[in-house]
Amino acid sequence: MTAVTEAKIRRRVLPSPITGQEIVLVGVIVLLWAALAVSTPAFLTAGSIQPLLVATAPVALVGVAMTIVIITGGIDVSVGGAIMVCSVLTAKALVGAEVNLGVAVLLSIAAGGVLGLVNGVLIAYGRVHAIIITFGTANLFMFLGLRIFGSGTVNGIPGTLAFFGRGPDGRTLGIPHAFLITLVITAVAWWYLRHTAGGRHFFAIGGDAQAARLAGVRVQRRILLAYVLTGVLVGLASCFVIAQGTSTLDQSVGSGKELAVIAAVVIGGTSIMGGRGSVLGTLLGALLVQSVVSGVTQLGWRSQLSDLFVGIFIIVAVGADLLRARARRAR
Amino acid sequence: MTTVAEKREKTDFVKILLTQRIALLAVLIVVVVVTFFINDAGGYLTAPYDFDYMSASLISAVPLAMLGLAEMLVILSGRGGIDLSVGAMVSLAGMVFGFAYGEWGWPLWLAILATAGFGALLGAVNGFLVSYIGFPALIATLATFYAYKSLAIVINNQQPISTKPIQELFSLSRSVELPLFGEYVPNVPLGIFTFLLPTAVAVWLLLARTAYGRRLYAIGTNDVAARWAGLPVRDTRFKAYVYAGLISGLVAVVTVGQFASARPDAGVSGNGMALPAITIAVLGGVAITGGIGRVSGVVLATLLIVWLNAGILLAFVGNEGSQYQLLALGAVLVFAALLNGLTNRRYGGTTS
Repeated sequence: MTAVTEAKIRRRVLPSPITGQEIVLVGVIVLLWAALAVSTPAFLTAGSIQPLLVATAPVALVGVAMTIVIITGGIDVSVGGAIMVCSVLTAKALVGAEVNLGVAVLLSIAAGGVLGLVNGVLIAYGRVHAIIITFGTANLFMFLGLRIFGSGTVNGIPGTLAFFGRGPDGRTLGIPHAFLITLVITAVAWWYLRHTAGGRHFFAIGGDAQAARLAGVRVQRRILLAYVLTGVLVGLASCFVIAQGTSTLDQSVGSGKELAVIAAVVIGGTSIMGGRGSVLGTLLGALLVQSVVSGVTQLGWRSQLSDLFVGIFIIVAVGADLLRARARRAR
Repeated sequence: MTTVAEKREKTDFVKILLTQRIALLAVLIVVVVVTFFINDAGGYLTAPYDFDYMSASLISAVPLAMLGLAEMLVILSGRGGIDLSVGAMVSLAGMVFGFAYGEWGWPLWLAILATAGFGALLGAVNGFLVSYIGFPALIATLATFYAYKSLAIVINNQQPISTKPIQELFSLSRSVELPLFGEYVPNVPLGIFTFLLPTAVAVWLLLARTAYGRRLYAIGTNDVAARWAGLPVRDTRFKAYVYAGLISGLVAVVTVGQFASARPDAGVSGNGMALPAITIAVLGGVAITGGIGRVSGVVLATLLIVWLNAGILLAFVGNEGSQYQLLALGAVLVFAALLNGLTNRRYGGTTS
């Protein structure tokens, strides 16, 4: 008896495990892959899907954290600059000190965490709009990254990070490690956001920060945590970025990544106004964007054309979400 | 021992600096210019930092201030108004200008008019999505940023247009001697008079002297109240994006002139043009929540950044200067944002 009512309450309180947006995205990705498989037979082979998954990983991974930030009603446009700092720092350590895999990953994550802490403290305790602060810190991070670069590129990066890369060292049973790690972290984040009090607090802050504060949520500490988490995942994603590249890292690393991540998040159905969103949708959004990029290249079209499709997908995905929201209100 | 009156005078001064953004910017400009003059006199700079140099550096103020004004218009309209696509609009409109003037041989005035009109059309797409469909501005302009950027590159197969008429446009960015008293002051870049001043005056007239301007401030301050007061909220917000597109079209012409070539990546290469433009607007006292902002603030913020950047360029050798410009821009923006937060808590907001 009590178990039944408890289950009933649980159903009422918790949102459904999969949103409408995610079902639509799965459908779109399936259709796109089917169309690509028909037009270019080489698409549905391991040699084409594996690089696609590897390339999806960094954007999806940062996207998980960005989803949480956007759920709290914030945004972080400094992740491009932060990726630059973490990857050049790690690359320099790999070249100069020849550190091993574990140290490199820890270093990158620590660096990202510090950058995230800067954003978090300024936003949570400076009480300033997140987009302005992160526009500012984006410039500061880029300055920092370029200073570490010194002049020119970082050359001769050893293959220490091949565990995350495109090569045969980067796969287990044919699945790239980078994508596998992203999948696990997304799953953990999905469970945390949906089933723990701490996770629900993020939604409460995004819905109404004042009400959340009065309900006993430590709003500032939660916001700080969201940005530190972003930094940490940026650090890990930077290792993926280095592993994907050649042995050379140039100064354009991370440039424009903040917009790619935000695009994946909004295509995934997270509301930019805060209070609503899902990390699963973000993963699917990142996969969709990367499929488009890969598809455009394989069809032999001009690669810059993929940006046009990304723009159209954002409009269609968010437009569909707006229509559904309107229908919900009308009901 | 300070008397009560002296104390009050002091707090009044602090209050004016914090609440009047224009006063703060003016003080900062003086500090920056004096600092570089002192450094110059001490011989620490690689080239003289004088009035001639300051005047010549104003050439980079033209696109920056114009796009800052464009951002101000959309941010003023409220409900999270922002335009990430201005750089992409500059690229795409610049290509259209390149075709019209460089390839099809249209007369200059017609090509400029067509480019401005095309920019307004691109802005209208943004405005339609934001105002009539209800997209959050950040998302709508992120999408059009991608779309316009892609179209600008694809439209001419990644090739810039630099035919003879386009190359001759470089004369647009030369410096001229002012009439009457020109021999006593440094020469000023022509673009200031042909593009920046007319735009600044037009935007000022629009905001301060027309009913449209009052409506824009009204919907930015309180969307719902404006609707209940019977204002055409959607139409007003829509037009703010159209004006931003129109200004971007004019900036496209300036940029083509400066590069002597219509480049497909003119507005999006490197950091792009949108980020600096938003920075200028925020630094100039435009509240990101809408409804607050003035033309004079944006213009002064541009002067501060341009003269600061010009000085930094002389203080360092090689490309270090351009790196420290990033540091300066970021630090100034964070500083301004924290100051805004402090002002809001102490005095309940800036008045400008």
